[in-house]
Amino acid sequence: MSGKMKCSLWGSGALFLVALAAWLYQLRQGLILTNMVNSFSWGLYISGLAFFVGNAAGGLVLTSSIYLFGVKQLKPLAKLGALTAFANVTAAMLIVLPDIGKPFRLYNLLLHPNLMSPLVWDVIVLNLYALASAIYLYILMLPELTGRLGWLAVKVENAHDFSEKWAKRIAPVALLFAIGIHVVTAWIFSTQGGRDWWFSPAMAPDFVSVAIAVGATVVLLAGALAYGTGKKYEEAYRTLGLIIFIATCVHLFLMMNDLVIHAWYGNGETHRIMEIAWGDFAGFHVFEVAAPLLGAGLLMLPVVRRSMPLLALSSGLLIAGVFVHRFLIMPAAYNNIPMTITPFGLPNTHWSLPIASGRFFPGLDTFLDQYNYSPSLVEVVILLGIMAYAVFLILLAVAKLPILAKEKA
Amino acid sequence: MKMGMVIDLEKCIGCRSCMVACKQHNAQPPGTWWNRVFTPGSHRHLTPPAKGVEYFLPVHCQHCENAPCEKVCPVGATFHAGDGAVLIDFDRCIGCRYCMAACPYGVRQFNWQEPERTHERSEYQEKYHYGYPREHHHDGRLVYTPLRPKGVVEKCTFCAQYRDKGELPACVRACPGKARFVGDLDDPDSEVSTMIKARDAFTLLPEKGTKPTVFYLPPKAREV
Ligand code: SF4
Ligand code: SF4
Repeated sequence: MSGKMKCSLWGSGALFLVALAAWLYQLRQGLILTNMVNSFSWGLYISGLAFFVGNAAGGLVLTSSIYLFGVKQLKPLAKLGALTAFANVTAAMLIVLPDIGKPFRLYNLLLHPNLMSPLVWDVIVLNLYALASAIYLYILMLPELTGRLGWLAVKVENAHDFSEKWAKRIAPVALLFAIGIHVVTAWIFSTQGGRDWWFSPAMAPDFVSVAIAVGATVVLLAGALAYGTGKKYEEAYRTLGLIIFIATCVHLFLMMNDLVIHAWYGNGETHRIMEIAWGDFAGFHVFEVAAPLLGAGLLMLPVVRRSMPLLALSSGLLIAGVFVHRFLIMPAAYNNIPMTITPFGLPNTHWSLPIASGRFFPGLDTFLDQYNYSPSLVEVVILLGIMAYAVFLILLAVAKLPILAKEKA
Repeated sequence: MKMGMVIDLEKCIGCRSCMVACKQHNAQPPGTWWNRVFTPGSHRHLTPPAKGVEYFLPVHCQHCENAPCEKVCPVGATFHAGDGAVLIDFDRCIGCRYCMAACPYGVRQFNWQEPERTHERSEYQEKYHYGYPREHHHDGRLVYTPLRPKGVVEKCTFCAQYRDKGELPACVRACPGKARFVGDLDDPDSEVSTMIKARDAFTLLPEKGTKPTVFYLPPKAREV
């Protein structure tokens, strides 16, 4: 193990432990340690769920497209793809835990699942996806599980053929789950007729496109870090760059299409939504559009793909843009109070009924119809810790398991 | 039997007695309000809006027949009681707050910390406790407890602890304007059904398709 690797492992591991401590602290004190209130009841954690779910997809979409559609150039990245998928989908499940008020009661999901709830569907598909990516990774590694790792291998006649055959067989199922986690995660929000910002049929396809873009970027970045940016994998990176660019454009199209339709008719609710999305959060909005576009555009250039710093910068831009996009799921949903009416005798006026905050702020009203949510330190630390967890898991696997293609002399 | 409530906005004087009665009887922690009375169109209660009419609007759980909160609840903690009231099982709720995202009326409240701590933080006098003092189970499920567990969601129960004894909800009893009525919506001759028919009753946000069982009778127009 190289010194750099050891350092990164220790660093990410430590950050994860800090987050764990923060969560324990929050378990004792309650969600009072977050900055959420009754009128703004989901924040950074649930944005984080959408973010990690997105990162997870690309991996398996790529991996299965290699075996399903025969995109051979990507083959050296197959295992890395399945690995990043597994790390991110488990991170997605982890980040939900601190958002739960009574996490020790989660067994109720098994005892009394309500099959009408999109949240239950999401729990099911996320678990299946985690399982699928773990099995997929295992099958891809099988031929190389020899020597020190031999005890891990199942006994088969010809490990290589077996691996090829089963990878091909699992591919369609894995692809289905990969699409499924985005669609179902989007449905958590887009089924809610009470929140105009979410209630849109464009959300599910948009989640899929974002996921392909950012998931592929995660694989590209991991690949470049592992293999370098040399000639050898030029083809693979070029293909990834193309996938990323197309998916980003589709995402921006779907998002803009939705905004234009919201904005054009311009009734009361959409007015308020636009005020929040394009007014209060104008800076964020510009970033969520510009950063991924710029990042994806840069990744189309061979010079960028050949230089590690530039590649990392462009990927970082895209990932950061998508993160902001995920954060923006919340403000326009929660600061546009659904209980808004046109009072008697006041046509053309929209009036929102304030909601009790549920918390005691000496300087703030008890009843709120607008709240400037920004995450608390505990929320930020926990989110960073879960990111560190994903990094840690990927690094550890790369160090200990035959994830990377062997350099042929 | 399908229970329903009628609130006569002509009679409501905006005094917020029902808010206070609700808060006290149901031992709501500081900062938590199941029932809110405001002056539509105005930023300040009991102050007429710049134009239009002044009237007051009490809002609490609408006990929707097609309740999105019940549909989204992953563990079935939110459920319909036999008489149509929507209740939360404090022993089952996992505190995911999906229901708070789903409810269009903004009536659901979360317990961000232990209620004792909230009392302290709000500088309530030590050992000052209020509200119905015992736990209450409906169909074997915990729907009321004076000290709420940290991390669960709560809201109006139509005072399950009183109704199960044949008593009226606290807000109905406390209203000095006698603006609130409960009764059987299934019975076409009940007081509530008659009022709904005779006085052009309306529900809140009918376009959301939630089918509330709380009905409002419009106020007579009074120009300000
Ligand atoms: S008003 Fe809200 S909490 Fe009450 S039943 Fe309807 S959706 Fe559920
Ligand atoms: S917070 Fe409780 S009542 Fe609300 S959806 Fe989650 S488990 Fe159900």
